[in-house]
Amino acid sequence: MAKKEILLSIIFMIISMTIYILTYQFPQQTVALSPAVFPRFVSACLFILSVALLIQGIAGVKKDSEQKKVQSTIYKVFILKLLLMILLAFFYTRILPIAGYAVATPPFVAGAMLLFNEKRGIWIIAVSIITTALLYILFRIVFKIPLPRFSLF
Amino acid sequence: MAIIQGFLYVLHPSHFPFLFLGVAGGIIVGAIPGLTGSVGIILLLPFIYQLDASTAIVMLCGMFCGAIYGGSISAILISIPGTPSAAATVLDGYPLAQKGEAGKAIGIATIASTTGGIISTFCLMFIAPQLARFALKFGPEEYFALMIFGLTIIASVSGESLVKGLISGFFGLLIATIGLDPITGYARFSFNIPNLMTGFPLLPVLIGLFAISQIFIQLEAVGEKSRHFRQKIKNVLPSFKELKRLSTVIIASSFLGTFIGIIPGTGGTIASFLAYSEAKRWSKNPESFGKGNIIGVAAPEAANNGTTGGAMVPLLSLGIPGDVITAVMLGALLLIGIRPGPLLFKEHPEIINSIFAGMLLANVLILLLGILSVRLFPQVLRTPAAILFPVIFTLCFLGAFSLNNSVYDMFIALVFGIIGYIMRKNNFPAAPVVLGVVLGPIAEDELGRALIISHGDWTVLFQSPLAIFFYVISIFSLLSSLKRQFSIHSKTK
Repeated sequence: MAKKEILLSIIFMIISMTIYILTYQFPQQTVALSPAVFPRFVSACLFILSVALLIQGIAGVKKDSEQKKVQSTIYKVFILKLLLMILLAFFYTRILPIAGYAVATPPFVAGAMLLFNEKRGIWIIAVSIITTALLYILFRIVFKIPLPRFSLF
Repeated sequence: MAIIQGFLYVLHPSHFPFLFLGVAGGIIVGAIPGLTGSVGIILLLPFIYQLDASTAIVMLCGMFCGAIYGGSISAILISIPGTPSAAATVLDGYPLAQKGEAGKAIGIATIASTTGGIISTFCLMFIAPQLARFALKFGPEEYFALMIFGLTIIASVSGESLVKGLISGFFGLLIATIGLDPITGYARFSFNIPNLMTGFPLLPVLIGLFAISQIFIQLEAVGEKSRHFRQKIKNVLPSFKELKRLSTVIIASSFLGTFIGIIPGTGGTIASFLAYSEAKRWSKNPESFGKGNIIGVAAPEAANNGTTGGAMVPLLSLGIPGDVITAVMLGALLLIGIRPGPLLFKEHPEIINSIFAGMLLANVLILLLGILSVRLFPQVLRTPAAILFPVIFTLCFLGAFSLNNSVYDMFIALVFGIIGYIMRKNNFPAAPVVLGVVLGPIAEDELGRALIISHGDWTVLFQSPLAIFFYVISIFSLLSSLKRQFSIHSKTK
């Protein structure tokens, strides 16, 4: 945890410094509140807090190094599943506007079910089709919310 | 009487089903471990856009009250609190279920929750309009000070680490600075990308931080053996003698919960544990607590539902949330075009009356649904994760898409889902991010207006006694959070 804290504190420090520097490109306003004031204040506070987290992390590294880190196979499988889930969601956001809701959603639901360890094939097919149909009724028919349709261009 | 108009509105056949769906949905999301009231409210948002403001807010209130009650069901049946505020209910609720009295435990929890909710709504109806009338006198400098106080709630909802909670809060504030500056209209950090000109849309950010990150967390639990309740539920209603014995503790805990709910930064978890310990302290038989004492179920349940009306007091009258779920509620209200605060009472009294009537009726529905559908609760808890979470995952993306018909919004939801997951895995709470995103722009807007009125004189911020009062309680709020952190650390050492 301590090493992760150090890494995250460095990330937050970089973000806050970048934001602070970028505010110098903003136009200056003398009468009321300049657009740079609020982001500068927030990024300065974030930087200070990140330094506090860095110190906290460095202090914690000693304790962590005494404990032997065991990365179990279960954890590795989970990370793989998580990455696949993110990838699945990413492809869904890409394919949905092209293939349309009715084509893109069943494989997405089926993929997510597989990642959640559902192994019964018929069950996966049935749930993915029923979910797609029910959500279509809910969004499109009941609440009149448009959903993406198949389009080549 | 204005409240009668509120009742007539909510009970209208075209509005009442939405309250019913809100309460029933709230009970379900509250009962299922892994889903919370905040997630329920966020999943509801894409649909309530299509409704008129009063119906939408009534549905949200139903979801809020239902979810707080729903948490007690899994706490009693499988010893896993569905919501954090039901954690104290496990202590005596689960032992009662093990004795074969799960029905009675749920019955008592239902009656206590309903009483707590109704008492707190009456307190809300009495206190909120007075507070709003007083708040109408606020100028931009007082509002800015109030928002600063609202932001110090970040420290109270920070969880284990104050530093991490504050980082989350400031990260939220930073996200809020992206897009058009409220005073000059200058597009900040947009890098000439049109989508960034208006900043990150709130709904996909909320969906990502709360719902998608939760699905990623649930993925980790795949393969773990889930607990099931296999007994037959019977004898739901307690006897008249038992009810008489419980009445004092239920009423006292309801008022305690309401009072705690009004204090920003507290919430149902603190209220329920405090009510439990008070009930134990005043009991003639304290050693029976933890072994299935019915008072140990009634006290926390009356208190946590008591916080519902209490937490709505600062939210509706001042526009500052009292806890995590009301922070999400605030975001939801802003999204449907309602800015809570004193002006809402003045300009839209019909919405306020609908909220009051809706919350009272929501609690009556909790009583009816809780008693009549008690035998269905074990079935709800048996919903397989392999079906539930993929369906919610799809709902999240369609919800994000629905607002602007935008694939970009779906992508934002995914990005914030990943950010939310990384934050939660490293003990950075998500609630402060929401507080920052929601309250940040309001605070900046009020600061800008105060400075325009004073021709750029910053001392205007410290000239109003009321503003100074808010700064003082902000400092007090931060110091009390610091003190709590130090005491937690010294105990763990």
